[in-house]
Amino acid sequence: MKEEAANMETSIEMKITNDFSFKKYAWSQFRKNKFAFYSFRILLFLIGLAIVSPFIATDQPLYCKYKGVNMFPAFSLATNCEIKNIDGTIEMLQYDIADWKHLAATTIIFAPIPYAPNKTDFENANYVSPAGKQFFLNNEGQSVNIPLKFRHWLGTNKRGEDVLSGLINGTRVSLTIGILSIGIASILGILLGAMAGYFGDHKLQTSRGAFWTFILGILLAYFYAFSVRSYAIVDSFGISSFSILYELIFSLLIFSIILFLFYWIGKLVGQIAFLNKIVTIPVDSIVSRLIEMLLSMPLLILIISLSAITKEKSIVNLIVIIGLISWTAIARLTRAEFLRISKLEYIQAAHAMGFKEFRIIFKHALPNGLAPAFTAIAFGVASAILIESTLSFLGIGVPPTSVTWGSLLNSGWQQFSAWWLVFFPGIALFVTIAVFNILGDGLRDALDPRLKK
Amino acid sequence: MISVNAPGDPVERMVVASQDGGETAAQAINQLEQKKIWRKKLGLDLPIFYFSLSPFSFPDTLYKIYDKNEREALGRLIHQYGNWKEIEEYYASLNNFYKEQAAFVLDTNEIRFVDRSAILETLNQIRFEALSLKSSYTASVIDLKISNIEKLLSLFPFLSKLQITFSTSKANYNKIKNTSTVWKNYIPKIIFYGYKNQYHRWLFGDGGNYSKGLIHGDFGTSYITKQPVSDVIYSKIGWSLLFSMLSVILAYLISIPVGIKAAAKRGSRFDKTTSAIFFMLYSMPSFWLATLLLMTFANPDMLHLFPASGVKPALGYPESASLFQKIKASIPYIILPLICFTYSSFGFLSRIMRGAMLEVLEQDYIRTAYAKGVPENTVIWKHALRNALLPIITVFANVFPAAIGGSIIIESIFTIPGIGSEAVYAIQNNNYPVIIAALTISGFLTLLGYLISDILYAIVDPRISFKK
Repeated sequence: MKEEAANMETSIEMKITNDFSFKKYAWSQFRKNKFAFYSFRILLFLIGLAIVSPFIATDQPLYCKYKGVNMFPAFSLATNCEIKNIDGTIEMLQYDIADWKHLAATTIIFAPIPYAPNKTDFENANYVSPAGKQFFLNNEGQSVNIPLKFRHWLGTNKRGEDVLSGLINGTRVSLTIGILSIGIASILGILLGAMAGYFGDHKLQTSRGAFWTFILGILLAYFYAFSVRSYAIVDSFGISSFSILYELIFSLLIFSIILFLFYWIGKLVGQIAFLNKIVTIPVDSIVSRLIEMLLSMPLLILIISLSAITKEKSIVNLIVIIGLISWTAIARLTRAEFLRISKLEYIQAAHAMGFKEFRIIFKHALPNGLAPAFTAIAFGVASAILIESTLSFLGIGVPPTSVTWGSLLNSGWQQFSAWWLVFFPGIALFVTIAVFNILGDGLRDALDPRLKK
Repeated sequence: MISVNAPGDPVERMVVASQDGGETAAQAINQLEQKKIWRKKLGLDLPIFYFSLSPFSFPDTLYKIYDKNEREALGRLIHQYGNWKEIEEYYASLNNFYKEQAAFVLDTNEIRFVDRSAILETLNQIRFEALSLKSSYTASVIDLKISNIEKLLSLFPFLSKLQITFSTSKANYNKIKNTSTVWKNYIPKIIFYGYKNQYHRWLFGDGGNYSKGLIHGDFGTSYITKQPVSDVIYSKIGWSLLFSMLSVILAYLISIPVGIKAAAKRGSRFDKTTSAIFFMLYSMPSFWLATLLLMTFANPDMLHLFPASGVKPALGYPESASLFQKIKASIPYIILPLICFTYSSFGFLSRIMRGAMLEVLEQDYIRTAYAKGVPENTVIWKHALRNALLPIITVFANVFPAAIGGSIIIESIFTIPGIGSEAVYAIQNNNYPVIIAALTISGFLTLLGYLISDILYAIVDPRISFKK
């Protein structure tokens, strides 16, 4: 019986794909929208820039031949290189602090922008304009006009840090925070929204035993994943972003394993006489109240307050906070869509065929209910990037060592004559936010079947 | 909850701020007393919440240890060894040792042949090591400190009295290591504290001794100025409210006609240019625009038309100034911030107005009106407008919180004495009562926004009523 149903399911699916694909249709609609398509290309360019930024804006050369040794400092994972001199002494070349611009190398190929975002060029400190005179200390120790390849094309800030390099590396920070945080938000928002819309207040039923076992499971999962491991998580903040990520993912893994375990135990417990009474869980009310609670606070103030209480400033922290707070728009739209879908006939048919609820949600309803979420995700990335730059502008978001568009703008705000510090990061920010907004508009138009002509 | 997880100890800072970091024993004791008083005043001597979930190995009274570092160290020790009873003994013996060495009196007979300053130096070092031993938890660090103290104690024969006390501490530490019960860390335990906790106190007060509680309008005491937070907030809220109200009203006043005109002449040049401008405004970060405006219009090197910061003349208003004169004096200060407050909601609202109007203009009854020969202006401003207003009223509930949220950055750029700049200042100084108060007030204002939009609904659309 079940096999038959599954066969039927696949045959229905095949028919759909053969006749008409909504994806193809939406893509063609999207391509017709000139602005949206251009902004999609700009976005791809920005993502590419963010990925290669460690190699095109760094003070470590791409290739260097020094005393017969070939080195690729910008690409290598090693942090130093030992070079044997002819007289037998060993010279240690530390990649990140070596003075590459004055190294007597046989061949040396610099990155297109030969400056790291947070390293000082002492010759050009104190707001050097892009058009103004820039200096370079040559090997004889004289200050001369800067060679073209070492020029600061967009000027420097007070500490003599290259603005262009900061802009390019800022792209990575902004896009990472924007995309990852909204990634968390979309998982949360789509899951909660789909459950709220699909089950409503009356459809999610379970036995009394299973319900209370699951509640107990949440408590225990929290205990083992976060309470017991709290010191490990706190310590990881002092080490690196990767270790924070690792500890958090490990905790989440423990959390979900325990929840899953209790889900199954609950099924068994639910068969005992007294505990098998059916209870209804008002998912919709719970999720809606949660959304209303979050919406009653201005987003920016809430995020700022939360980032103020975390002990260490870090990018991972910011990502998690923004992700945990900005899922409401996605959840609301998904919920509305699922309210509509759950009443459609094909869902009833799936019910009649005896499919499991979760299978219906994820396999049958979700592909149709995602369209509005995509729009909200695009707008969400824009607002996450805006929030990050606002926080860096105020100096309360990311750690002071990392250079972002917001922190560059902040240094320009302190010195009005340095227009390049205000103008260029602002343009970068504006373009990125506009790109995501246009994309959101374009997606809405392309994915809305009501606009079909 | 926020103040407990937060970095920095408020009491530490408040007491240090009130004294000049005294070093003598009398001053140190005085400081301890003061800390205790402030802790009681701020309610930090209570457990955090009604209950807590913690490992079985943790005692239910750990919150009573008032030094944050020591509490953390004890927590980590429990996490390592899981035997609170032994750890408690160790901690008590350390405290004992610390007290004894602080009260150590030099016997003049014994130190006759020794350099006095050397002894004082040694005693100081012992004190320092003992203090840091209380807040260390790594095995290697503790071992190092113990051997350091032992070395210092063996320097002079008359310190042997202290040595006895210290040897108990050392024995206690070894006992911790030998009797560790780590398994206790993996058994959960729920502790109930009753209503005497920080959360309850914050919400309902402690019977009027130090705090009246949030529901009576008492937000607690500012960690920086030691003033009641309510006073700080009430003195600052005026400007914030003024700016957000003015900006929302202004945005509506401009965007409704502009959106209508763009929709009425769909596809015209006016429509296209305004659409492009709205979109650009909508995507523009407010702090960038604010900086650009300041750079252009409040810069002595460029155009110096407006003052760069503040809301009134630097010397204050003249004493005899009437209300009208005061307003007149403040206008140049208000214009630039107001532009920043207004522009983004203006772009947003115009787009929505245009969309709503377009939808309404395609309805049958509009066509009927045209067919009847009603003049275009009457059709648009009388027939279409009322129906097109509904969506733009719905978003009032979004625009108003956005204005309040935006205040946080615009107020700090233009140094306007409002809640936003106060919140930023509080965040930079870990002044949690003020942060929470700002959050609560803005949440309240947001809810007010929802209420107003609901009422406006009923006014604009007679079909909607709240009666059943």
